[in-house]
Amino acid sequence: MGFPLDVPLHVKYIQSLGENKDDLVYHMTAHLRMNAVYWGLTALCVMKNKDALDREEMIDFVMSCYDEETGGFAPHPDHDPHLLPTLSAIQILTMQDALDRVNIPRVVKFILSLQQESGVFAGDQWGEIDTRFLYCAVNALSLLGHLHELDVEKTVGYITRCRNFDGGFGNREGAESHAAQVFVCVAALAILDRLEEVDQDTLAWWLSERQLPSGGLNGRPEKLEDVCYSFWVLSAMSILNKIPWINADKLTAFILSAQDPDHGGIADRPGDQPDVFHTLFGVAGLSLLGYPGLDDLDPVYCMPASLIEAKGLRKGWSALPRKISV
Amino acid sequence: MHGVKRVRYSREALAAQKERELAKLKEFQGLTAEVLDRKKRKDHGRESFDLTTRLLHVNPEFYTIWNYRRLILLDGVFPTSTPTQTNEILSDDLSLTTTLLKQHPKVYWIWNHRQWCLRQVPDGPTDTDPNGWRQSYWNKELFVVEKMLEVDPRNFHAWNYRRHVLDNMPVKRTELSELAYTKRKIEANFSNFSAWHQRSKVLTSLWSAGKLDKPKSIEEELDLVKNAMYTDPGDQSVWIYHRWLISLGDSKNVVDREILSIDELLDEQPDSKWCMESLVFYKRLLLRKYSESLTDEERWKLGSDCEGLLAKLQRVDPDRKQRYIDLSGHSV
Ligand SMILES: [Zn+2]
Repeated sequence: MGFPLDVPLHVKYIQSLGENKDDLVYHMTAHLRMNAVYWGLTALCVMKNKDALDREEMIDFVMSCYDEETGGFAPHPDHDPHLLPTLSAIQILTMQDALDRVNIPRVVKFILSLQQESGVFAGDQWGEIDTRFLYCAVNALSLLGHLHELDVEKTVGYITRCRNFDGGFGNREGAESHAAQVFVCVAALAILDRLEEVDQDTLAWWLSERQLPSGGLNGRPEKLEDVCYSFWVLSAMSILNKIPWINADKLTAFILSAQDPDHGGIADRPGDQPDVFHTLFGVAGLSLLGYPGLDDLDPVYCMPASLIEAKGLRKGWSALPRKISV
Repeated sequence: MHGVKRVRYSREALAAQKERELAKLKEFQGLTAEVLDRKKRKDHGRESFDLTTRLLHVNPEFYTIWNYRRLILLDGVFPTSTPTQTNEILSDDLSLTTTLLKQHPKVYWIWNHRQWCLRQVPDGPTDTDPNGWRQSYWNKELFVVEKMLEVDPRNFHAWNYRRHVLDNMPVKRTELSELAYTKRKIEANFSNFSAWHQRSKVLTSLWSAGKLDKPKSIEEELDLVKNAMYTDPGDQSVWIYHRWLISLGDSKNVVDREILSIDELLDEQPDSKWCMESLVFYKRLLLRKYSESLTDEERWKLGSDCEGLLAKLQRVDPDRKQRYIDLSGHSV
């Protein structure tokens, strides 16, 4: 097996991301900044280096994105609020034990206001719908302790209407199954204790067939492998307790081969440019595969497992046992 | 970031690249600051509108700017425009999204803006033909989305958009013509799982509306699939679809016949994982669903066939070995 996971280098890579102020890509991706902070922080937590980024500075950034008018969070100051950065903000504040900074009832109201008649959620006032946004809402409401305010039947009803002939789920009614959408739908059902809505045999079969001869996973049949599916597919498999249905060693080797050995970070596939998104989902996949030296990741919330357990939110998923050495 | 190769630059090359980038960066930052400032001041004038056009050309993922552009239109432009002018502006905005989608076919925000524009089309061109403008746009949409699916037949944004168009056209196309479209896509490439998926949706709808006879159409589908299976028995799209068809039916004869036909294919391709995987599923389906009509001996034979196939699957498909072990340990 090529390189082991180079934790110090990846920590340095994540630390360096905030310093690329003269980098065009850094500015062109400002609309993803809140998500990027969440990706970076979660990856650091899994690599047991949570303190590598300054806590106060991070909390100040998150709060600078809060939109008084709506009660939602924007991805960056002066951008518009949306459910995607709102979930990331809540996740960051939860990990930093700083939820006391938030007007929780206002945020809850913002989230609930986005549920549509059909049960799905819009991302913002402009009305795009997606099961991703539904997951954002369910996850954030659960972290905020306000899940009881959600119309569960309506929400679950929408998810079941997204279920396809292959057992998977799409991003809206009628849409093709896609591993990332499978993750959001299965994880939302797990949070809502409604996993009986999943055709588990068919879905676990479909998920196990995402592994390609390279060891990597794809997101749909007859597509290329990509490191981020290590998380989308594995998280759903771990919620269904089926990770052993794929070759863990080959997937581990595939993720490790996508590391940038010079500057740190993990890419979508070997030889490509790394980014913080694939760095998190690569490390998250490795954690679920029992890679040594990492902390447990909760696949339902995509946050440190110990934290979710301490909040009393742990569901019945299982990962591979943590190995002692490579 | 997807599919961007990692390159090792020399120190000099890196510095030169940074230099070039710096000019672009300055321009982008200046433009961003200007537009966001106007947004804050709620400036909904024409000049702000034009600046959003420039900025979106540079960065179509900057969704806040799309939002601002719509606010300008709703608040500053439409109220002072005649229906004809509004229609022309929307027509320009649709062209803008067409241009951007050609370069960025997977950016959600561009697709969103396109849908929004179509919802804003006013009544016209005349009082006696209030749907004329809408009708002509929607007719073009199907053409646009077919072009997109020609470039990338698996683009799920385009497929989603296609379903949106089909649902919202003022004069609907028949579902039978959509069924024909999916068949064309499948025949062009059996691995196009997106087309198989769409076909499963259209068929379900046609069956529940009573527009197609379900058992008869399942037979026709099985024919289509058989063709694909023989073309490439390693293509999972086909097998997943086949399993769905068989699970829908309630005829033991059909299951028996399909098992025979897969057995024949397996004779030609003795290591075909998908043949074996499917045989196990269908034989276990017989045991599950039609147990009463089987003799003890038949039941025993089916069970032992499955055990043999699962043992062989562990060898030909070792990556999923544990699944085959679990299946063989489990009773039906
Ligand atoms: Zn990816």
